[in-house]
Amino acid sequence: MAASALTRSPVNALVRWVAGIRASLHTKLLAAFGIVTLLFVVMAAFGVHTIVETTEQARLLDLAHQRVDWSQQIEQALARQMQFSVLALLSQDEAAIARILRENNRFNELLAKLDAVEIGEQHALVEQVRVSQDEAMSVVADIANAIRDRTLGDVTGALLAHQERLDAEIAARVARLVDAEQRRMKALRDSIAHANRELLVTTAILSVSAVVLAWLCGFVISWSIILPVREAQNFLDHVATGAFEQRVVLPNRDEFGALAERMNRMSEELQKLDRMKVEAASELAQLNTQLERASRAKSEFLSNMSHELRTPLNAILGFTEMMVDGLYGELPEELKDPLNDVQTNGRHLLRLINEVLDLSKIEAGRMELALGDYSVQELVASVRVALRSLAEEKGLDFRIDVADGIPIARGDAGRLTQCLMNLAGNALKFTLRGEVCIGAALQGDELVYRVSDTGIGIAPEQIDNVFAEFRQVDATVTREFGGTGLGLSISKKFIEMHGGRIWVESRVGVGSTFFFSVPLRVGEAAT
Amino acid sequence: MKQPTILYVEDNEYNRKIVRQLLGRTSYRLIEALDGESGVAAAFEERPDLILMDVQLPKMSGLDATRMLRADERTQGVPIVIITSFAMSGDRERATAAGAAGYLAKPYSPRELLAMVRQFLPEEAS
Repeated sequence: MAASALTRSPVNALVRWVAGIRASLHTKLLAAFGIVTLLFVVMAAFGVHTIVETTEQARLLDLAHQRVDWSQQIEQALARQMQFSVLALLSQDEAAIARILRENNRFNELLAKLDAVEIGEQHALVEQVRVSQDEAMSVVADIANAIRDRTLGDVTGALLAHQERLDAEIAARVARLVDAEQRRMKALRDSIAHANRELLVTTAILSVSAVVLAWLCGFVISWSIILPVREAQNFLDHVATGAFEQRVVLPNRDEFGALAERMNRMSEELQKLDRMKVEAASELAQLNTQLERASRAKSEFLSNMSHELRTPLNAILGFTEMMVDGLYGELPEELKDPLNDVQTNGRHLLRLINEVLDLSKIEAGRMELALGDYSVQELVASVRVALRSLAEEKGLDFRIDVADGIPIARGDAGRLTQCLMNLAGNALKFTLRGEVCIGAALQGDELVYRVSDTGIGIAPEQIDNVFAEFRQVDATVTREFGGTGLGLSISKKFIEMHGGRIWVESRVGVGSTFFFSVPLRVGEAAT
Repeated sequence: MKQPTILYVEDNEYNRKIVRQLLGRTSYRLIEALDGESGVAAAFEERPDLILMDVQLPKMSGLDATRMLRADERTQGVPIVIITSFAMSGDRERATAAGAAGYLAKPYSPRELLAMVRQFLPEEAS
């Protein structure tokens, strides 16, 4: 509000001009204080000058007083001198002459004093008075001579007349002198009064202008600081709301100007970063779309592949089964074995296809668990039923060992069955004599499945490779026992999707035990 | 007595041949369709007693065809068995949601197929 009022006021131009001065704040403040100090000094000097002036005027006035006083005394001395002259003439007494001379001395003394300080036109007047006085004194000397010669009676009239004429002349001149001195004093008094009035006015004007100048200094300097601070606040408010295109414009060429420049640079950087961020985000979004499209394409490819591979396999297995079932007539004995081999290999191919597709789906993140309640007892039993014929063929002991009292579990029964089938299938495959056992037990909230065998075992240095993709413990094993080597890594991923883990304990020549643990109730908060 | 009729919708020639040969020994009458659209048309025209529907078909998917047949009053009551070759999790649920009465995953065994057919459509003692 004050700021907007200022922008319209004429002082604003001054504030902007001060802000625009290329100097530091420190210098500006010092300059402002300097101006105020200078005003003080001027005021003080003027005060001193006034005192000196007044003192001088008082002295002059004093002197004028004295001169008036002296000239009045001269007047008196003259009066007395005339009195004594008259007296001398009348009394014809020389003593009166001595008195006249005394008064004359006083007169001359005073006249000399007056003459010492006198200047200009008065000087001439004093000189005339002195000439008249000298003439009067020669008359007095004549009187004295006449008194001594006792010839006074003859000349008294003439002397008296001469003396009276001179006295009148002197008196007139002295009167002029007194008058002149009095006039001069009056003039001096007038001029002093005038000077005093002028002094008063000047002092008042000087004081008022000093106060105004000091206020103006303070006002302009403070606003040249407040304005940029407000501008900066405004600017930072905008930046805080993300308006990075804003720039702060200050007339200042001091610290605030430098600050504004830095703030603008910061804003520029922020704007650049913001633009980069927006670009990166859009690039990322684009990439995301591409990835999504690729992922969808992969998923589509997978389901197409699945269909394309299974359809011919369906025909192969279907025709074979119908041949074996005698749909095309009695099967010659010598074809039974090769057709059996076709079926076995067809089913094996199917399992391989399933495994590869499963792994692809897992890798693509397209595999989802179908969670549901299941019975651990039933799940283990179904695996045993499915693999029993294989165990019987190899003459292996195949048993199950499920702990009593395991409650209904929750998980993807299909996938867990697949895992157990895989582990048990491997165990049967790699065991030549002895037994294979599928077990399950509850440990706290964890359900631990295990498949143990008395097979060939795994060497310690090979154990880490067991769960890796496309790995079998030994290349020769693949040739001897078959398999893609994907089963275990797929099982591992299914188990991990359940939030569980898989591990193995094994001794070469003694046998292996594979364990995997999954939460009893997958997808439900542990109690 | 009318001979029980089965409609088999499948685009693969060999799979049709298997079903044709499998049912050739039975008393069922078999009608074949090669894609979803002609499958639906055949179902409306012939009013079969059971439909075997492959999922991945040209022109119209098996699931869409199933939904269409379920929605039409002429074929509302005909049981449909969906045959899928995806075997992905959720396939069975999708088949049921579309209105299928049965579900068979490829590769199926002819024995299984025959057992499923007989379950829905008991063969009459001739």
